[in-house]
Amino acid sequence: MSNSGTTSSPNNFWKENKGFVFIFPWLVGFLVFKGYPFLSSLIYSFSDYSLFEGISKWGIFNYIEVFTNKKIQTGFIITFKYAFMTVPLKLIFALFVAYILNFKIKGVKMFRTVYYIPSILGSSVAIAVLWKAIFKDDGIINMLLGFFGIAGPHWLSNKTAALFIICLLRVWQFGSTMVIFLAALKGVSPDLYEAASLDGAGKWRQFFTITVPMITPVIFYNLVTQLVQAFQEFNGPYIITAGGPRGATTLVSLLIYNNAFKKYAMGLASSQAWVLFIILMIFTAILQYSQKHWVYYSDEEA
Amino acid sequence: MKKMMTKILAGGLAASMVMGLAACGGSTKAPETTAAGAEPTEAAGAEPTEAAKAAAETVASANGDVTLRISWWGGDSRHNATLKMLDEYMAANPGIKVESEYGAWSGWQDKIATQIAGNSEPDLFQTNWNWLWQFSADGTRFADIKELSDFDLSQYDQSLVDLMTINGHVLGVPVSSTGRVFYWNKATFEKAGLEVPKSFADILAAGPIFQEKLGEDYYPLAAGTYDLTILLTYYMQEKYGKQWIENGELNYTVDELADGFDFLKSLEDNHVIPTQEKLTGDGADSLDKNPNFIDGHYAGVVEWDSSIKKLVDALDDEQELVIGEYPADYGTPATVYKVSMGFAVSPNSAHKEEAAKLLEYMFNGDGVETLGLERGVPASHKAQEKLEATGALEGLTYEANKTAAAHAPFQLSPYYEDAALKDDAEGAYQEIMNDMSYDDVDSKELAQSLIDAVNEVESK
Repeated sequence: MSNSGTTSSPNNFWKENKGFVFIFPWLVGFLVFKGYPFLSSLIYSFSDYSLFEGISKWGIFNYIEVFTNKKIQTGFIITFKYAFMTVPLKLIFALFVAYILNFKIKGVKMFRTVYYIPSILGSSVAIAVLWKAIFKDDGIINMLLGFFGIAGPHWLSNKTAALFIICLLRVWQFGSTMVIFLAALKGVSPDLYEAASLDGAGKWRQFFTITVPMITPVIFYNLVTQLVQAFQEFNGPYIITAGGPRGATTLVSLLIYNNAFKKYAMGLASSQAWVLFIILMIFTAILQYSQKHWVYYSDEEA
Repeated sequence: MKKMMTKILAGGLAASMVMGLAACGGSTKAPETTAAGAEPTEAAGAEPTEAAKAAAETVASANGDVTLRISWWGGDSRHNATLKMLDEYMAANPGIKVESEYGAWSGWQDKIATQIAGNSEPDLFQTNWNWLWQFSADGTRFADIKELSDFDLSQYDQSLVDLMTINGHVLGVPVSSTGRVFYWNKATFEKAGLEVPKSFADILAAGPIFQEKLGEDYYPLAAGTYDLTILLTYYMQEKYGKQWIENGELNYTVDELADGFDFLKSLEDNHVIPTQEKLTGDGADSLDKNPNFIDGHYAGVVEWDSSIKKLVDALDDEQELVIGEYPADYGTPATVYKVSMGFAVSPNSAHKEEAAKLLEYMFNGDGVETLGLERGVPASHKAQEKLEATGALEGLTYEANKTAAAHAPFQLSPYYEDAALKDDAEGAYQEIMNDMSYDDVDSKELAQSLIDAVNEVESK
C-alpha cells in the first residue's frame, strides 16, 4: 500500500491499525458464533457424530447418503421449487409496488409505511401462527371463498396448496426489497424519461426500456439476497405445516433440523448444510458470471 | 477503475451474505459442546459442570439462598397447578428460589434433548418414560434417585420403580401410570339419537348415522396418526391375545398386521374417523386445540387418562365427555398402558439434595394436594392417601385410570414411543398412517413397513 513497512514508527503503526480496535468486538463475535460453528460443522460432516453417542467413524458416507437418499433428494427438489416460485414472485411484486409508490400520489408516504410493515414483522412466529389461522379449513380465506360459493381446498393439508401458502407468506413480506427498489427508481434520472416522452414513448415502453435497464444492478442485488434467503427458509414451513402434509413442505433446512434435533444425527445434518451451502455458492457464482450480460453499470464506459 | 470497484463491491456483498447466512445455519447444527458423548465421563462433563456449579454458588452465596431450575410440559391446568404449588413451596422455604420452564408438549423433546446434549438441563425436570432409554441408555446420564436420601422412594411399588431402572440406576420418580381410554362426547351422540358406543360394532355403525343425521363434518371418533397406532395396537392385542412386542420384535405376522390395517381402513371408510387430510386441514396441533373437537363435531377420542383433563377443559359448556367401555368384540380388551411420566434430577445439578427435597414435597408431601390429578393419578402411596382423605380421588381421571389399569394385561416396550417411530414430522408411525390415509397403500405393504420400522428401533 505504502512504504510504511520501512519507515514505520510506533506512532505510525497505531495510526494504520487502529481500525482493528473498532472491529474487534465484531471479529470476536464472528469467530466465536460463526467461524467456529462453520468450521466445526465442516469437520462433523465427515463423521457419524450423534448427539448422544458421539463419533465412531470418519468418511464421506454422509455425502453419499445426501446424494442417494430419496427423502433428502425430495427435500432439495422441494427447496428448489420453493425458491424458484418465491423469488421471482416477490421481486416482481416488490418492483411493481415500488414503481407505483414512486409516483407523486397523495399520501404516498403513508402507503410506503403500510407496505413496509409486513417486513418489520419479519419471520416472527406470531405471523406464521396467523398464517395458519387464515388458511385452516374454516379460516378466513375459505370463509371468503364460501361467500362466493367456492369450496376452498384444504390449504394446510393439500400438497400443492401447502407449499404455495408458504411461498405466499414470503412474497407478502416484500417490504425491504421494495424499499431498495424504490431507492433505485429514485436514482433514475428524470431527463431520460423526459427525453423518452418527447420521443413519444408510453409508460410501459419507458418502464421496460428505461427503468428496468437502469436499475439492473439493484435487481441483481435483490435477486442474490432473496435467493440466498429463500434457500434457507425455515420458520414458515416449521410452524405452519411442520414440513407436512406428506413431506410436501419439508425444505432442506427443515430436514437438517430434523436430522440434527430429532434424530440427533449431527454428522448427516452438517453434510446436508454444506451441500446446501455449496449449491448456494454455485448459484451465486452463476449470477455473478451472468451479470456482465444483463446488468448495466452506468459508470461502465465514460 | 470505478466500474471494477462497483463490481467487486457487489460481488463481495453477495458473497459475504451467503457466507454469513450459511454460517448462521451451520451454528444450529454444530453444538458448542463437544462433550456430549454417551459416557459423560468426569473429564467430558467437567468443564461446563464446574462452571455451572461455580455460577450457582456465587448466586447462592450472594443472596444466601439456592436457585433451582425445574421444567415440565403440559396444558394450562397443569401449568397453573404446578406454579401454585411452587409458590407455596417457596413461601414455606424462604431460602429457595425455583425458576420454572414450561410449555406445551409439541417440540418439548427437541428442547430437552438439546439441553441434555449441552449439559444445560434444569436441576429437575419432567421426563417421558422412553427418554430414559433414549438419553441415558447406560443409566448414568440422569442422577440415581435412590441415592438421594431426601426422597422417599419406598412410597412407590417396586414394579414401577423397576420400570424406571436401567443398569441398577433409578433414573426418575415414576410419577404416575396411564393408559389409553375411549372417551365419548355424550351430547353429540344424543344429538344423533344414539347411546355412547360399547363395542366396535356400535362404533362402526355410528359413522354412517352421524354422516346422515348430523352432517358430513361430524365424526364419532377423531384419531391422529399416533392415536391410530394405539388403536392398531389395541385391536391386535385384543384380537390375537399377544403382546405387541415380544423379545425385541413386533409379535405379529404380516398377514395378521394387514388385518389390523384393514380394520383401521374400515374406520375411515365408514365415516368413523376423519381422514388425516381433514384433520391436518383443521390447523390445530392437537385435539384440545381443534375447534371441531371443542364444539362436539368430533365426538370421541382415545386418550391417556392422565391428559384427559385438558380435553375436558377445552370442551364447550354444553358438551360432556364420558368414559367409554373398552370394546370387546374380538377378544379380551388389552389397552396400551405405561408409566406416564417421570421426574428426573440432573447429575450436573449443584443442588441435588434440594432438588430431591422439592420432589419429596411435590409427590409425597404437601404439594400433592395442590397438584391433584394434574399428572394423572399419583403412584405414590402417601399421595394417594392424602388425596383420598380430601376426597380428591374421584372424577374422570381417576375412574379412567382405574379402568385402564384393569384392562392392561400386557407390558409396553420402552421403545414404543421412540422418536424414530413416534415423532410427528419424521417418525415411522405418522409416515405409515399417512400412507394409509392419503394414498390408500395396500395393507400388507403397510404391515411390512411397520414391522421393519419397529424391529429396527427395537434392535438398536
